Amino acid sequence: MTTTETGRSLDSRPSAHGADRWTRDFVPIVLVGLGLALVPLQFQASGSMMTVVTSGMLFAAYGIGFNIIFGSTGQLFLCTGALAGIGGFGSAILSERLDVPLILSIMIAGALAAIVGGLLSWIAVSRSLDTIFTGIVTLAFSLSYESFILGKGDLTGGENGLRVEQGRDTILDRQVAPYYVFLALVLLYLVMYRVIQRSHLGWAFRALRDDEVAAELAGVDVTRYRVYAGIIGSGMLGIAGAVFAHNRGFIGPTTYAFGNVDVRVLVMLAFGGIGSLLGPILGAVVFTTLDELLDGQAQLREVFYGVVTVALFLAFRRGMIPSLGDWWNRLRSSRRGRT
Amino acid sequence: MNLTDLTAVVLDGFVLGLQFGILGVGLTLVYGLGGIVNLAHGQMAVLAAIIIARLIDGGTQTALALLIGVTAVGILGLVLDLTLMQPVYREPGEGRVLLGLLLMLGVGFIIDGILEWRYPIEALTLRVSGSPIRILDVPMRRGSIIASAAIIGIGAALALFFRYTTFGRATRSVIQDEQGARLCGVNPALVRTVVFALSGVLAGVVAVTRAMTTPVDSTAGVSLTVFALIVAVVGGLGSVSGAFLAGILLGIVNTVSAFYIGSYVSTIILLVVAAITIVVRPSGLLGVKS
Repeated sequence: MTTTETGRSLDSRPSAHGADRWTRDFVPIVLVGLGLALVPLQFQASGSMMTVVTSGMLFAAYGIGFNIIFGSTGQLFLCTGALAGIGGFGSAILSERLDVPLILSIMIAGALAAIVGGLLSWIAVSRSLDTIFTGIVTLAFSLSYESFILGKGDLTGGENGLRVEQGRDTILDRQVAPYYVFLALVLLYLVMYRVIQRSHLGWAFRALRDDEVAAELAGVDVTRYRVYAGIIGSGMLGIAGAVFAHNRGFIGPTTYAFGNVDVRVLVMLAFGGIGSLLGPILGAVVFTTLDELLDGQAQLREVFYGVVTVALFLAFRRGMIPSLGDWWNRLRSSRRGRT
Repeated sequence: MNLTDLTAVVLDGFVLGLQFGILGVGLTLVYGLGGIVNLAHGQMAVLAAIIIARLIDGGTQTALALLIGVTAVGILGLVLDLTLMQPVYREPGEGRVLLGLLLMLGVGFIIDGILEWRYPIEALTLRVSGSPIRILDVPMRRGSIIASAAIIGIGAALALFFRYTTFGRATRSVIQDEQGARLCGVNPALVRTVVFALSGVLAGVVAVTRAMTTPVDSTAGVSLTVFALIVAVVGGLGSVSGAFLAGILLGIVNTVSAFYIGSYVSTIILLVVAAITIVVRPSGLLGVKS
């Protein structure tokens, strides 16, 4: 049975036992959830450590959203931060200026990000841009977003940033609770990822990523499914960004900047394994830990980041989760061979 | 709107555009040959700038310092190709692009990190003395003129090199069809190595020419890389003349919109123009349809 989550392997075997399959699909998510739920036991006393692990969860959420767009359908969106920023600034402005209730403003901002992401996706697909070109167009969008945030100061606070009062006196303002809010979001995203993977959407995603022409010939509407992935993933990014804005209480031009979000998310996901369910989680956990270990040498952090990136990609070409999966499969098959 | 203003702005845009162009050329060549998006290109340029600045501070003659700085990043390009890039060249298909991109991203982090750690406030400024020269009734600074002349000279030399020398033709043949080139007796590995080194030298040239008009500081790497990427893609990946054309177009768009509209909108306009060009002509201005 293919337990590796490369996504490349078309799991074509009909499952005999629905319950068995259900277990195989969702038990990893439950286990990860339980494991991550224990993290605050260690750090709950320290406010700064809780901020660190909470932002780790935020990046896991970003990673899953980006994974749906890039991992599932191969569209290199270099605007993770910008889409999260649309969610963050959108929700902040809606709730602060227009007195929209908190939950509603997060939802509207998420929908806004989803629409923008869907549009970008539609442009890229309808002009059949390949990976690099999609990357450049979305990168241009990212940089325009940053210029807009800086330039439109009367709306976004410009360089000074924006204070987000909505979210005070809610659970988002506590020391430990926000971690669980983000963990819940991450688990929700994981379940969505899995459900999509097992639905007709997932079949189409795999088909079009493995061989676009063959998928098109087989009757898969490539444009439609790519745009779906763009919409879903961007919506996830927007909502995560919006929740973060209300949790942090302050957002500025660097909060969702390309250099702070996109590069990290890409490296984390590539490390964990692009197109794998748990890749974003593993990447977020490892790089958050790494960041914390390097905290003493803040100036050297970027150098270490670079060295680690280079070393990891030389050693684990496809990411850790697929490599570990291969290793596990080999181990199992060799054991089976012996008996 | 008066005409002299417009001429001045367009000339300024032309000067900036030439710098964009030479920035894009280094990136476009490496991508065209090996499918590697050199995300450390801007950082290599900044590295050259800081080496030169340190040498000049230490009392080295300017000309010698320039030579050492430019050669140093050329050698860095050579070394990168012979070491880190080897596993990338062995990777097939889309995996190659992604692996190359991520490895060079890592290299970019390393260079950027070291520079910001050791020399956070270092910057290279090359002052060219002398009174402004009038061109089309517009007084132009000597630094801008010398920088532009140098870039035009180097661009022309590159064009001649690729058109008329055996090695240049071999390079173009590998860009067009690696398999075919190999069958004709061209060694793609050698071509890639030499061109990667050449791309490093061009990054050094970017540092020198840019320092004649604006200071190049140790944090400029990322934005230089981003502009190189945009210029290379708009011009058509693998096309030298395309990169120059795109550079000049974007340079003029940038200064004209900055002058008539305002600074932050001009960046957005620049990026929108770039995005529209890519969307309308995915193969770039002068790119070959693959």
